[in-house]
Amino acid sequence: MTTLPSAGLTAGNRRSKRLTQRSRAERWAPLLFLLPAVLTLITVSVYPVLDGMRLSLRNTMLSTQEDDFVGLANYVRLTGDPQFWSAWQHTMLFTAASTLLETVIGMAMALVLYETFKGRGWVRAAMLVPWAIPTVVTSKMFGWLFDGQHGVVNWLLRQAGLIDGYVNWYGDSQTALLTIIIADVWKTTSFMALLLLAGLQTVPHSLVEAARIDGAGSWQCFWSIRLPLLFTTLLIAGMFRALDAFRIFDLVYVLTGGGPADSTEVLSTLSYKVLFSGLDFGYGSALSAAMFITEAIIALGFGLFIVRRMRRDNG
Amino acid sequence: MTDKDDHVGKPMGVGRRQFLKVAGLTTGGVLAAPAILKLTSVASAADRTNITFASAKFFGKRTVAEMVDVFNQSQSRILVRYDELPPPSSSTEVHQGLVQRLAKKDGSPDVFTQDVVWIAEFAGAGWALPLDEYVSADEAGAYFPGVLAACKWQGKLTALPWYVDSGMLYYRKDLVSKAPETWDELVAAATDLMKAGKAKIGFSWQAKQAEVLICDLVEFVTSNGGSILGDDGKTVHIADDAAIEAVQFMYDTIEKYKISPPDVRSWDEEPSRTPFTGGDVAFLRNWSYVYSICQDKAASSVVDKVGVVPLPHFANGKSAACLGGYQYGVNASTKNRDASVEFLKWLSSPETQLLFATELGLAPSRPAVFDSAELGKAQPFMQTLKPVFVGATARPVTPKYSQVSLALQSAVSKAVTNGNVADALKDAKAKLEGIVGA
Repeated sequence: MTTLPSAGLTAGNRRSKRLTQRSRAERWAPLLFLLPAVLTLITVSVYPVLDGMRLSLRNTMLSTQEDDFVGLANYVRLTGDPQFWSAWQHTMLFTAASTLLETVIGMAMALVLYETFKGRGWVRAAMLVPWAIPTVVTSKMFGWLFDGQHGVVNWLLRQAGLIDGYVNWYGDSQTALLTIIIADVWKTTSFMALLLLAGLQTVPHSLVEAARIDGAGSWQCFWSIRLPLLFTTLLIAGMFRALDAFRIFDLVYVLTGGGPADSTEVLSTLSYKVLFSGLDFGYGSALSAAMFITEAIIALGFGLFIVRRMRRDNG
Repeated sequence: MTDKDDHVGKPMGVGRRQFLKVAGLTTGGVLAAPAILKLTSVASAADRTNITFASAKFFGKRTVAEMVDVFNQSQSRILVRYDELPPPSSSTEVHQGLVQRLAKKDGSPDVFTQDVVWIAEFAGAGWALPLDEYVSADEAGAYFPGVLAACKWQGKLTALPWYVDSGMLYYRKDLVSKAPETWDELVAAATDLMKAGKAKIGFSWQAKQAEVLICDLVEFVTSNGGSILGDDGKTVHIADDAAIEAVQFMYDTIEKYKISPPDVRSWDEEPSRTPFTGGDVAFLRNWSYVYSICQDKAASSVVDKVGVVPLPHFANGKSAACLGGYQYGVNASTKNRDASVEFLKWLSSPETQLLFATELGLAPSRPAVFDSAELGKAQPFMQTLKPVFVGATARPVTPKYSQVSLALQSAVSKAVTNGNVADALKDAKAKLEGIVGA
């Protein structure tokens, strides 16, 4: 923008020309500043999504070098693929269960951490440790904790008399998904608690004080004042968590690889296998597109709720 | 470097802007130094043909990188740059790394190593250079026939053997006088040992929904005279009686005979190995790497108590071992074909195979090297494995192997978990026919 073309202009003309050029520059400058961000978004986000959609309409297979347009054939195959539907169900179940548990436990944690007590700063910091640990490490850790032969969880439960024999936690199709949910709740609840704690701090203290004076107990204070005022935060945090949980990959990949008997296969691991092991890029892209659509629906659902809520709060 | 120290020592005397400028320049210089140094060393070797070699990471006393150095120092015409991939235990990641490189078709890497099950896939995709014109029939005859057969796709040689590995039966010499030859004998021996309290686990194997489950599957099914695919790679035999019987036996080891704990359903190689070297297991199916761990006093409580034999078989079958190991390949779009083939032949030569055997513990794919006195001196145990390796059975050969494997992993995991063997295998058959069917 520093060099303006000025060749071949008369002196009088130059002055007014420079003015219009300046106003034009002012008009274009904001757009120009936005350009890098837009270009980055297009290259890393819009283009891959569109290219994925394009691939999902082809039978691209690296191992046989097939690459033809097949229309919606991949999607037809998808609707009749029991493996896809079972993975879809596992993913939804995991998303619902982990989001719900993390919200409830996170709420309880946030309420405790909101109160003043000695060493609160330390506890608040320590609470984030599970969230800061890399998920692969968490997976390995839970692998040892829930080990069917030497796991400390089995040992503790047996000492407490809750189980007769050792449970084969992630090697049994009945308990494998549960183990993964427990691991995820352990890891991410603190993040939820942090978001809700921030929300709690926006609730005016005067309201709670006024209620106390009117004779409300702690439960009433929570149920009738804090919770309604926290609801928008709760929804936003829940949406973040749900969208994140829907993409669950690392815990499953490290802990069970999708087994036993497909009982922990989720959409991310399934599409990874189809894409990068099977090299079936066409069908794999259709799978990813199905994931994208489901996630969009979840986001839309939450989004509608949030907008309605906000309108009501403001109006 | 001393330059930088001077400036860092007295920032206060210099203006802030100037200090930042100098500091920035020095840091940039320091960061760029290795690159510049490397450039000069490459420049001195500019008259050599540069090729790249991508391989999974292996190490023993020495590493693959050091082997590449041996080649680079042995001659002055070719310079090989080593591109290290993850170790073979992360097979999926190695596969992904190779696919990403080869699919670019820009000639890099020139030479690569591949798991035996990817050979058909890479050949089918046109990524692997056919090697028939570079390898004479005499040369080809010097390898184990089973391994060489696995290096061919549609009659063309598209890979050259590197090392061989296969499944085998580890047993406790101190607990059983004679290793079992049939699965029935194994069940009987394991049951007795468990009853007598001499072993907590009778038989440890791998049923995790992963590639290793297919290796175990091939061994059980083939040892009952069955197979997964026909020789044409298109007919599906996984729901034949022989296969159903074999998979039923896999389930029975857990639920009927109870010689294997339910935990095997989540075990791959290492989790199945640890209780064995811990002294709790009578019989273990695993690869050759386990032996050196058994003999390591720091990691094992069964030193000198372990024997290795070919895997048992069913009454009407023959022992079968799943063929493993990595093989060499040349990139079809290499720009340095002659140099690549020369390096390839060096890699697969008897001398280099012996070096890999003694220094990295990788079993040679040439019988002549197996029988050599040097190997007997350096790796006496490896030499005893020859009978196990000779009869190794390949997994289904098809360019869509990865898809076949994923479908089988899902089905067989279901069969050994729920016990509905016939149904699970029938579903698998339908699925496989959809994948490989003509």
